[in-house]
Amino acid sequence: MSGAQPAILVRGLGVRYNLTLTRRTTLKSTLARLGRRSAAPGARHFWALKDLDLAVEHGETIGLIGPNGAGKSTLLLAIAGILEPSTGSIVVDGRVSTLLTLGAGFDADLTGRDNIRLAGAFLGIEGRELEALTPGILDFADIGDFIDAPVKTYSLGMKARLGFSIATAITPDILLLDEVLGTGDQEFRAKSQLRIRELMTRAKAIVMVTHDLTYVTEFCNRAVLLEQGRLVHDGAPEETVALYRERVAKKKLLAAGTSGRFEDAAAS
Amino acid sequence: MKTSPRAALPAGPAPARRGPLGTLRQGINDIASRRRLIRFLVAADLKRTHADTLVGRAWWILDPLMQMAIYWVLFALIFQRKIPDFALFLFAAILPWKWLASTLGDASTSISSRVALVRQVQFPKLVLPAASVGAGITGFGFGLVALAFFLVPYHDRISPWLLALPIIAAVQVVFILALAVGISALNAFYRDVGNLLGHALRLWFYMSPGLYSLDSLPEGPVRTILSLNPMAPILDSYRRIIWGTEEVAHGVAPDFAALAVVLVVSLILLAFAIVGFKRAEPAFARIL
Repeated sequence: MSGAQPAILVRGLGVRYNLTLTRRTTLKSTLARLGRRSAAPGARHFWALKDLDLAVEHGETIGLIGPNGAGKSTLLLAIAGILEPSTGSIVVDGRVSTLLTLGAGFDADLTGRDNIRLAGAFLGIEGRELEALTPGILDFADIGDFIDAPVKTYSLGMKARLGFSIATAITPDILLLDEVLGTGDQEFRAKSQLRIRELMTRAKAIVMVTHDLTYVTEFCNRAVLLEQGRLVHDGAPEETVALYRERVAKKKLLAAGTSGRFEDAAAS
Repeated sequence: MKTSPRAALPAGPAPARRGPLGTLRQGINDIASRRRLIRFLVAADLKRTHADTLVGRAWWILDPLMQMAIYWVLFALIFQRKIPDFALFLFAAILPWKWLASTLGDASTSISSRVALVRQVQFPKLVLPAASVGAGITGFGFGLVALAFFLVPYHDRISPWLLALPIIAAVQVVFILALAVGISALNAFYRDVGNLLGHALRLWFYMSPGLYSLDSLPEGPVRTILSLNPMAPILDSYRRIIWGTEEVAHGVAPDFAALAVVLVVSLILLAFAIVGFKRAEPAFARIL
């Protein structure tokens, strides 16, 4: 593991959300805030990730676990280059493919075939390369004649299958997966897990987010526990999963699930 | 785990803050390198627009004709405006105005309506307003078909100056692109922009020489102020090559000097818009 450059190197990563500029901000609220800016400086930021260090070596499959809002998806988005770090740096060695929410870029009015082209263009796949990949995508998605029907006529499962097929058609150097192993029916789920395993053997590194802890112990060679934007533990999957279970149990004992969160927030 | 510090960082996807010129170059490169994506987005937009209507694409041609008809009823029948070939006079300006208005409307939501995409796929966001502009150009092309039909009864107004239309259109593309890029980014932060836009465009239209010509206004400060509007020379030039002037009943040369000024202003605006957009781009995924 020494010598070569890691596939992903995250150092001192912090991602800060500005709570004042979220969806549905209005000019009025901004102007109103400008008036009392001095009153509460810095109170309107939220650190989704803070001081995070992580090195993923070639050939590793890392599972990210933790409660909702721990920053798992934020970390994936940052590695994918979609979110820019507020502090620290991320260096990624190679082509990244994200399997975040499947079919995110689908245009419901276009046919499946047109959407393959559009998604390919969004992902920056060359036209000729995509043409060559298309038969494989169609074959794997296995949605028959629906491929020439608008995506708005698809079932959720069909959409997920097409999205999965597109995202896994290229062999990425680094594969990021966010809760995608449980899509589709039983048959497709088995098929997609097979495809993931195949990609794992070819990809340089994989980072997956999942709430299904059995996937972590089954697929990953390392697991990272995040809580409130901070790395709590980084180690063998069994060990991390056990620690996570322990902490969840402890929190349940503390009953009021909110207390812990606010104490930590106050401390930071 | 070992997270051994490394001194030299290879060029990552998000380099440190560049100067304005570097940012501008990067923005231009975003559009140039993703031409295929822009083309697909334009094609998708065209497929979607009017796809579920009875006469389909014909709306591209019918829309400006109907709008012109409404103004014609209002001004020629009710207000008894005595301008020769008034329908052509109106159409020559309504067509390019519709191009501006519909493109800016599209562009304003080009980012804010694509939440899933912006938050989950890594791509240069500049392609989104650029695609709105591309779709607008196509729409204008359909409008020119309407113009061709429309010119048949007015064929004695046709002159070789009609061939100068692409020059005027090129200036207008730069102007529209600058506004589209700026508005799309602003509307991602403030949805008020989209609400304001419709009203602003309407006011702007009435202040532009669309339903009248600036020459018909009395000399004075109002006319001077209205002539500072970049759309004034653009609409006026279209009208000059298509309809003519009050004195000449056929197409004449456009005001090239005024167009050149508009082009320079538009290019400066565009540079500012692209730099501003690129600066705001990293925030889109966070705020949408």
